[in-house]
Amino acid sequence: MSGVHDRERACAAALVGLPGMTPVRLSRLLDGLGPTVAWSAVRAGTHPGDPSRRFAESARATEPGEVARRYADAGVSVLLPGDRRYPAALVGDAGAPAVLCAMGDPSVLEARPAVALVGTRSATPYGAKVASGLGRELASAGVVVVSGLARGIDAAAHAGALAAGPDAAPPVAVVGTGLDVVYPKENRALWQRVAASGAVLSEAALGTVARPRVFPARNRIIAALSDVVVVVESHRDGGSLYTAEAAARRSIPVGAVPGSVFSHASAGTNDLLADGCTPVRDVDDVLAAVALARQGRGMSGPLPVACLRAGSRTNGARPAPADRVQRSVWEAVDDTPTSVETTLLRTGLSLAALMAVGEELVDQGLLTAGAGWWSRT
Amino acid sequence: MIASIPSAVLLGVDGRPVSVEVHVSNGLPSLTMVGLPDAAVRESRDRVRAALVSSGLAWPRRRITVNLAPSGMRKAGAGLDLPVAVGVLVASGVLDPAAVDGLAFVGELGLDGSVRGVPGTLVLADALLDRRLVVAEASLDEARLAGGPCVSAPTLSEVVARCTGRRPWSDPTPHVPAPAVRTAAPDPTDSGDLADVLGQPIARRALEAAAAGGHHLLLVGPPGAGKTLLATRLAGLLPDLDTPTARDVTRILSAAGELRPGAGLVTRPPFRAPHHGVSAVALIGGGSAAMRPGEIGLAHGGILFLDELGEFPAAVVDALRQPLEDGVVRVSRARGSITYPARFLLVAAMNPCPCGDAGMPGGCRCSPAARARYSRRLSGPLLDRFDLAVRVDRPEATDLVGCRPGEATAPVAARVLEARRCARRRGVAVNADLPAGTLDDLAPLDTGAQDLLGRHLRSGRLSARGLHRVRRLARTLADLDGSGPVLTVPHVAEAAFLRGDRAFLLGEEVR
Repeated sequence: MSGVHDRERACAAALVGLPGMTPVRLSRLLDGLGPTVAWSAVRAGTHPGDPSRRFAESARATEPGEVARRYADAGVSVLLPGDRRYPAALVGDAGAPAVLCAMGDPSVLEARPAVALVGTRSATPYGAKVASGLGRELASAGVVVVSGLARGIDAAAHAGALAAGPDAAPPVAVVGTGLDVVYPKENRALWQRVAASGAVLSEAALGTVARPRVFPARNRIIAALSDVVVVVESHRDGGSLYTAEAAARRSIPVGAVPGSVFSHASAGTNDLLADGCTPVRDVDDVLAAVALARQGRGMSGPLPVACLRAGSRTNGARPAPADRVQRSVWEAVDDTPTSVETTLLRTGLSLAALMAVGEELVDQGLLTAGAGWWSRT
Repeated sequence: MIASIPSAVLLGVDGRPVSVEVHVSNGLPSLTMVGLPDAAVRESRDRVRAALVSSGLAWPRRRITVNLAPSGMRKAGAGLDLPVAVGVLVASGVLDPAAVDGLAFVGELGLDGSVRGVPGTLVLADALLDRRLVVAEASLDEARLAGGPCVSAPTLSEVVARCTGRRPWSDPTPHVPAPAVRTAAPDPTDSGDLADVLGQPIARRALEAAAAGGHHLLLVGPPGAGKTLLATRLAGLLPDLDTPTARDVTRILSAAGELRPGAGLVTRPPFRAPHHGVSAVALIGGGSAAMRPGEIGLAHGGILFLDELGEFPAAVVDALRQPLEDGVVRVSRARGSITYPARFLLVAAMNPCPCGDAGMPGGCRCSPAARARYSRRLSGPLLDRFDLAVRVDRPEATDLVGCRPGEATAPVAARVLEARRCARRRGVAVNADLPAGTLDDLAPLDTGAQDLLGRHLRSGRLSARGLHRVRRLARTLADLDGSGPVLTVPHVAEAAFLRGDRAFLLGEEVR
């Protein structure tokens, strides 16, 4: 491949995998030195970026060729900033990973706009619905959906993007763990589908397990890859606010989806809106922000405006039930999850009668039942 | 000379007759006590000596041996002071053996010669029914509950005077029937009225069903939602105890030394709320040599309330499983084993997760790992015992405005009593005890209800074991509403909801 030798790739992979390695230490080791030179210096204990020689011993026990074989066996390619397939958006970024591991084809990011859809892991049905809707419509419009393959909003956004079909833009995921460690486990199938159609990226070595600090770090890559960052739902101290902060530091526009002021899961996004972020009501808001962002950076290339659709704001409203009692229950339930207790107080029915009517409405598909709550579909 | 004085000691919730044998012979002045006395019993020789001297009675300057027969059993408690003193007096010739013929003694002695009451007097009196029992004045009411003849005396010198007939037993009304005073259990935790609970219609309904059907209740909710308030109101909903249960409850309280003086037969169900720092021994019983009953025994016939269930050590909570199944506790120790009744209504309260806000989607701020750790503290088999698992939320102010004031305890208690009568007509005390085999006869389902349960089973919201529990609960709900014998969709749907599901208990969110 262009400019990067296999030996360099192997040495880079070996460096990433040294115990105790962090993104910051890695970039210090590779600062101004090629991976091969850096590797020999670390091994010899003469690297100026490793004065305490903390890596020397483990490096002497590691054989780069063997590491490279493990990566090849796992189907993971190692990208260095000089690579043609290394994402262009990361080149020149202050926090760019010195080494990036990839599954799938990272070149899907070339010549396509990218939007990050991020949010809380404990998403409400509302947030999940918005995330999957935006994911699908953005992908149909030719926009690469970038997210983190976490529970909740991330998973919904990826699933939505994949649901747009084979002609749509493929999604890209940036994860915090090693590419052979699927976290959370329930997203395994989704993970494989994202890798098959788009790409899954990570700056962590194979075998790196989920640890709290890896996720905020990967959020900066999500932000750096994207033209616009959209926070769908976030708690007031949610991790997706790191992504918004990383984007703001890079002058990347941040959009936020408004939510109920009673919903904890929307407290962070509503704060973002109050701070002046772009409100995201539907895909048009996002596409407009993408167009503006690319224009501002002189990248006004072929934005597939033809794919813009009429807003989906009025779509999907279902008719109210005709039966009087059913209607009173249906009206007592909000679009956001409403506890059975609240519904009981609002309708004044007995619990037995309410539960019977609730069962009917769930059967008819007019209500979604959760553990102790209902919401309108 | 030799004397043998009948008395009794406590073991668990039973009295064991003990014969206090005193032998006085020539030799160096001393007092030896044999027959496995524990520390309190061994100390009695100093109290007895002082009490005798203070009462103006001579302490024999001879060799005294006290044997507690049967000598293989450990003796605990200070109730043997009085029989030892009387035995010494008889053996040294101060008292005529004929004067104490037919009498038994239980009491602790003060250094000034006063006779004091001891815990478990009722149970001890039960073991000595064939004799006239002499106890402290403070214990007389309690001793009379046993139904045997008993008398009292304030001091040791009075005991001597009354035994010898120089003065009459001042309370010559032996064998009055037990005073059926209507009193609350000694730890009433002043239960308060249900009208204090604002809103919370679901929790109120669950409380009513728990009281009526004997269904164990789990309240899950964030801090400050009123879980403890609700649990304490439950005691007021239970009907008075029937006589056999009241006797058992009174005996257990007596054995634990928690019967209030002059309390009479306890007819209100007890309410016990051990702190989550409780040890397994304190909960189950068997700690001291007397094998004192534990909290679950003290809750017999009433309510055992475990606040902050998630904070109880897993081993302690799992110790509840056998008593919950059998209604009795069997405690085995090296020094013996005891059995006592423990049929109680288990009520527990807990937060759904460490932050307390899980349940509603998007509400919880805990990491999934923290939540998983929290839910692992509860064993599945124990959670399965709860027929009712309801979420208690802080009421929303907007929904409280204009809602009717809460129903008071009295009308709810009347419905509970009526529902319990329905259960008794089916041959059980409460519907929770209905055998699974009888459910098709006693809790038949109409076709709609069958379809509903079928859907729940297929969707995995209900397990096969849960099915019976839902039917029993639906039976109770129908009884409370006075519906007919066949269970219909509303009550079955309500029962399925009130039983809760695992996802809900453990605070999992979007499914």
